[in-house]
Amino acid sequence: MSKSGKELYDKVKEKIETSQKAGTLQNKFGTFWKMACTIKTRQHDMRYLYEDTSREFVNRNRDRFIEMREEFVNNMDMYVEKCINIMRKKNFIVHHAKTNEEAQKIFMEELGDNKIIYKSKSTEAKDIGILDVLKENNIEIKETDLGDVLVQLFNYTLPSFQVGPGAHFTEEEIANKIKEVHGVELEPKAQAIVEYFRNTFRNELLNNVKVSLTSANAISAEDGTIVLGENEGNISLITRATEKHIVVCGITKIVPNVLDAVLMTQLQSRINNVSFNYISLISGPSNTSDIQGTSVQGMYGAKEVVVILVDDWRTKAAKENLIYADFLKCLGCKSCIFPCTASRAFGNIYASKYGLGATAIIRDYIHNGIESAVKNGLFLCTGCENCYHWCPVSINCGEILKSMKKEATDKGLAPPDLEQYKNKIFKDKNPFI
Amino acid sequence: MKKLIFLGCLSNTKYKDTCANAIKLIKSIDPDYVVLDDAPCCGALAYHIGNDIELKDHVEFVNNWFKIHEISEIVTICAGCYNYLTKYYTLFLGNDFKINVQHLLQFLAKPENLKKLNLQYSGKRLKVSYHDACHLRNAAVPIIEEPRQIINSIDNIELIEMENNKTNSICCGAGGGVYSIFKENSDYNSKLIFDQLNRGKILLTACPFCYTAFKRVKDDNQLKKPVIKFEDFIIKLMEGVDPLIE
Repeated sequence: MSKSGKELYDKVKEKIETSQKAGTLQNKFGTFWKMACTIKTRQHDMRYLYEDTSREFVNRNRDRFIEMREEFVNNMDMYVEKCINIMRKKNFIVHHAKTNEEAQKIFMEELGDNKIIYKSKSTEAKDIGILDVLKENNIEIKETDLGDVLVQLFNYTLPSFQVGPGAHFTEEEIANKIKEVHGVELEPKAQAIVEYFRNTFRNELLNNVKVSLTSANAISAEDGTIVLGENEGNISLITRATEKHIVVCGITKIVPNVLDAVLMTQLQSRINNVSFNYISLISGPSNTSDIQGTSVQGMYGAKEVVVILVDDWRTKAAKENLIYADFLKCLGCKSCIFPCTASRAFGNIYASKYGLGATAIIRDYIHNGIESAVKNGLFLCTGCENCYHWCPVSINCGEILKSMKKEATDKGLAPPDLEQYKNKIFKDKNPFI
Repeated sequence: MKKLIFLGCLSNTKYKDTCANAIKLIKSIDPDYVVLDDAPCCGALAYHIGNDIELKDHVEFVNNWFKIHEISEIVTICAGCYNYLTKYYTLFLGNDFKINVQHLLQFLAKPENLKKLNLQYSGKRLKVSYHDACHLRNAAVPIIEEPRQIINSIDNIELIEMENNKTNSICCGAGGGVYSIFKENSDYNSKLIFDQLNRGKILLTACPFCYTAFKRVKDDNQLKKPVIKFEDFIIKLMEGVDPLIE
């Protein structure tokens, strides 16, 4: 039986109270997050590196962002087919999964007897439920991005910021944790911690990876190129030094051409202050034709590159014009998170297992329904539409959330005070008397 | 046909002095404007939670009330009313909603009205900051330059822009009923807005919801700088009252 509006409201209030108490994990994350949001919404953001700010970069490219997303969303079937065709010609193994469940099944088949998977960070893998199914099947998930490695090390289960999931742990805490878990004493300095992982984990990544999992920042429909941006080098290692590289992502990662794909990746870098020191453009598995011109797959890089393109909610949202149809245009840049009134104030309270902010609440709604979205803070949204003003393609998450709030209210899941306001407006024509 | 001053339910219920000032101000420019007693709520908050059928009923009720009173023009002092009357009433009612709706800031910023007001400030040069409310910057016709035109027209008053301004302004955190149900939001964000005042000595706002949130955070944190509703500020100038004294 579903919970009442009062019960859900109390749950959110309880989480907020915890986040207000000094020393709690939520409080710690909140402090870090508030700082990140303030820095990111400064007018001179990124001017220390570039001639223009992130916002100026967005404005300069806004027309192309809108054009590339609308072009895809208006012609989804055509672009998916085009992308799959060219990928198959380039020896990718491509699956087009209609649902998340189908994608999970395909993934497990592709995994075969392997019991360990090495992965980069991936919101898409969470969205598609790959991580859940791996856990259910007792597959060992080895994170490779240092932030996620730390999250695993600390067994941290609260929602976190996708780009820097472990950024709120202090050097002392990390050094202590490494001592506790691995029995190694380290100087509590970032340099020493990084060196420790370089000396230990890098070897494993170079030699032991059989199957790796990544998402894609973008995929070019024109030539089937997968674009992956990163700063650590973990993606470079696990996509090359592996037998099988599996890419799992929604079809919405497809853009018309490779220039668009790189531009979209650049945007993600600029918005998240992550310098993508490596951008991989993967157009097929490793191969050589050096022996008599005979093409042989699997030279030094991945022998197989498997791409699982997932539809699930996407075509349905477009065809039925569902309340979140506009979300199909999302570039995954996270522009909407930093200036969000609720996200800034509530950090990982206004969040779901898909990450922080409005887009994570929308994903939660899509996969787990309205009750879960309310529990994860739907009603914390003030409707200020900062998300809309900052979005490079003008997605109005505020309006999507308003539609969700209306559904919640109709189902008796709204906070009781709001119900009262509503009744007063409609009956007394004044909510404040 | 009548010209109506639409006060909005929040101001009309909680900020009577501000309403009196707004009425005085509008009537000093155009005495034909009237105030009606039983004005209904525009329904702003209900757009977050009411379903389309309930909302349409409410919008039709309010529109009928306008028709009964033969309203042809509205000046509203509420940012929320302006946003919703211009956006959602047209959306729900189409051509059946024929009223020309202006916000007080648009009304005041008209060159002929600014000329009539002839605003002066004889005190020492005063630096003020203006906060762009979501309701005004998000409206179908956004109100962004008007408050700046008004402030810049006054001798000795200098506008100090906040770092986050215009469409990038920080939201006060009160909208969508969040002010009362999750006060931590407006307390945090309103404080951020105060922190951005820097050289501004006064925080000016044209939104009663923002004003309410700012007042709470100011009182709770014993912040020194005054927060003043736009119409109160203008009346203070017109009546020679020091705006720094609350």
